[in-house]
Amino acid sequence: MFLELKNIKKNFDAVQALDGVDLKVGQGEIHGLLGENGAGKTTLMNILAGSFPPKSGDIIIDGKIIEKMTPKKAMDMKIRFIHQELNLCNDLKVYQNMFLGEELYTKVHFIDDKKEITRAQKVLDSMNSHIVATDKVESLVTAEKQLVEIAKSLLFNSELIIMDEPTSALNNCEIEELFEIMRDLQKSGVSFIYISHKMPEIFGICNKYTVLRDGKFIESGNIKDIDEHIATKLLIGHSLSALDEKFVKESHQSDEVFLSVKGITGDGFNDVTFDLHKGEVLIVTGLQGSGCSELSMSLFGAGNITEGSISVKGKDIKNNSIKVAMESGIGLIPKNRKERGILPDLSIKDNMSLAYYTVKHHKLFVDEKEEDERFFRQQIKMNIKVASQENVITSLSGGNQQKVIFGKWFELDSDVMIMDNPTQGIDVGAKFSIYEIIGNLAKSGKALLVFTNEYPEIHRIADNIIVLYKGRIKGRLNRSEMSEISIMEYSTGTRGEK
Amino acid sequence: MEIKKTWSNIITNHSHWVSFVLLLIVATIVNPSFLSWSNLTNLFTQGAIIGFCSMGMSLVISAGMIDLSTGAVVALLSGLSVNVLNSTHSILLCLLFCIVGGIVVGLINGVLVTKGKIAPFIVTLAAMSAWRSVINQLGQGGPFSVDKTMYTSFRNIAAGDVFGIPNLMIYLIVVSIITSVIMNKTKFGTYIYAVGSNENAARLSGINVDKIKNLIFAYAGLMYGFAAFLLASRLTSIQAASAGTGYEMNAIAAVAIGGTAMEGGRGKIIGTFLGILILRIITTVLIMANVPPFLNGLVQGIIIIIAVLAQTKRKK
Repeated sequence: MFLELKNIKKNFDAVQALDGVDLKVGQGEIHGLLGENGAGKTTLMNILAGSFPPKSGDIIIDGKIIEKMTPKKAMDMKIRFIHQELNLCNDLKVYQNMFLGEELYTKVHFIDDKKEITRAQKVLDSMNSHIVATDKVESLVTAEKQLVEIAKSLLFNSELIIMDEPTSALNNCEIEELFEIMRDLQKSGVSFIYISHKMPEIFGICNKYTVLRDGKFIESGNIKDIDEHIATKLLIGHSLSALDEKFVKESHQSDEVFLSVKGITGDGFNDVTFDLHKGEVLIVTGLQGSGCSELSMSLFGAGNITEGSISVKGKDIKNNSIKVAMESGIGLIPKNRKERGILPDLSIKDNMSLAYYTVKHHKLFVDEKEEDERFFRQQIKMNIKVASQENVITSLSGGNQQKVIFGKWFELDSDVMIMDNPTQGIDVGAKFSIYEIIGNLAKSGKALLVFTNEYPEIHRIADNIIVLYKGRIKGRLNRSEMSEISIMEYSTGTRGEK
Repeated sequence: MEIKKTWSNIITNHSHWVSFVLLLIVATIVNPSFLSWSNLTNLFTQGAIIGFCSMGMSLVISAGMIDLSTGAVVALLSGLSVNVLNSTHSILLCLLFCIVGGIVVGLINGVLVTKGKIAPFIVTLAAMSAWRSVINQLGQGGPFSVDKTMYTSFRNIAAGDVFGIPNLMIYLIVVSIITSVIMNKTKFGTYIYAVGSNENAARLSGINVDKIKNLIFAYAGLMYGFAAFLLASRLTSIQAASAGTGYEMNAIAAVAIGGTAMEGGRGKIIGTFLGILILRIITTVLIMANVPPFLNGLVQGIIIIIAVLAQTKRKK
């Protein structure tokens, strides 16, 4: 298949999402589509897959202009779009999901389960996965679900597969397996459009690239002609390197222990012990399933702890619950902002006031004036860009939403801040302002426990690092000892305490 | 274009106001006497008892839940309250019974939802069936009728007026204002929207979600208690099998027409208040226009769909 998108324009109300974008993908090509969040990558792919029409511009496939693309038409032309969010029905079995909407029938028009299972299993096996076609999707882990999505697109001999951040839930081994599969398909003439933020992946698998910025076409070419630094520059428009080797991080760590965790065991983690000091940024990292997210929730009183003890500033926490944790001075920026962080229907200032209400506000009535003051205070502190604090929080960009959630805890003045993937789903520029906020917090004498897997982020903010592997602490590193490789070796269990 | 946009925004954001005004105009055209004082106050007196139920329902739906037990609870409490009145000859005790009874019945729903972890739809469906059965058994098919000795003074609570303003109208306005203040000005109100908007995030902000849900059902029960008290006073004779039937549906309709999102998180009490009046206006207009009463439900159904369509448009 030879695909050409020509001068595509699209606007949502007043926002110009795409402004004359071109994209050419040849047969057997893996084409990296690069751009920050909001650059228009997903919008462009949605237009190609027929989810909504462009305002103007042409979709040309094998030399023919396609009028009025629809999802059905796109599928018939063997174009598959694997969305960033998983689109699987948890209650159905793997093969049922794979054939959803395109079921195979027997002669009397019943569903031919046998045939479906055989064909689904063949594809799954060819991917070297251990997934059984008759398993319920519910019983799979996230990475396996991702593989099912990919298997689904392989099922129908697709000629163009669009992958929007397919690796966000995969570990390195799984990513390599995915790439193997992609290379095999590439040899048989299948084309890919590959959307990712992760440079090593783009450079590991793609042979062509196109960069979008703010809805505009920036550049296109062969991957071998550029390197990661050039690509990053194209992406953000100006140089902003997280992995700047000359970067020196100030340390604000003192000897005073703010959070002391002794031998705690719970669902997903085992015998975890560490001290977190005033002014320290302690990173907890580990791969999917290492127990990181369970640990973060349990420290905040939202999960089980069966053994061990936690104390904040020398005071033991007993009967840990969310309320108790909050009252002892622990705050949590949860991962997955959409599901756990924001209250989408509530105003920006309500979102910011909520934690304060539950712990410190003992009056029955709310105080609108105080709410406004709280908001303005944090707005100045973190440079939050909003039209009005009365608007719903979903009117903000991801980065600004996250700042509002930060503000919620600043207003409570929590001494210990737990952050679970605090820069998840926000774009590069906003990430840096979050790092700055984290630095300022440490400087002002807070203690920070940050759960993250992104090395550039760790490099930016860490004083010390704990690596979890299968729920246990495998490695402890300080700033001078850390490197991406050493952390990965601890995370994968190749190195470290027994 | 800017102006056009603002207008369409206003219309979708205040669909309940728009439909309210439109209906008023239609009603006046159909019959100019619609705007008479007695007719206007009638809207309130006939809407008041459902109105109390709708206030409770507003809280429940704003938190993303539902309550189907409304009608049965009203029947249970109003029937029993007549017995209390007849045996104690005290209106105060009768009122007290309705208040305490309402809260207790509401809390039973709440505890089953929070501690039993059963979906509100199922809990209140079971409660609807159970309480109706209890009151039917207690009434044995006959009515609960207020004794002659208490008749006039008790009936006056609902039927009376102050300087020509019917009592029921006053009650409805007062309870709407109180509920509106609770939703807009108190922590409890903010928590209700928070739970309806994103239960996970609410919990991680330190909100005791179970407690909030229990309080919501208790408040709804309290509202049903008041409704039961007023129903008993208004009718002075309660038929166990038919009293309060369909109240839950009318209350849900008023809340939906008023712009409260069924999935929770969004909604205003003023909307519910207008929703109650809109339902009454429809009924009145149809009577005035000599439309067969059987078609009332059809028109109501269409209005509900239009109201919710306006909401979904807003969401996009």
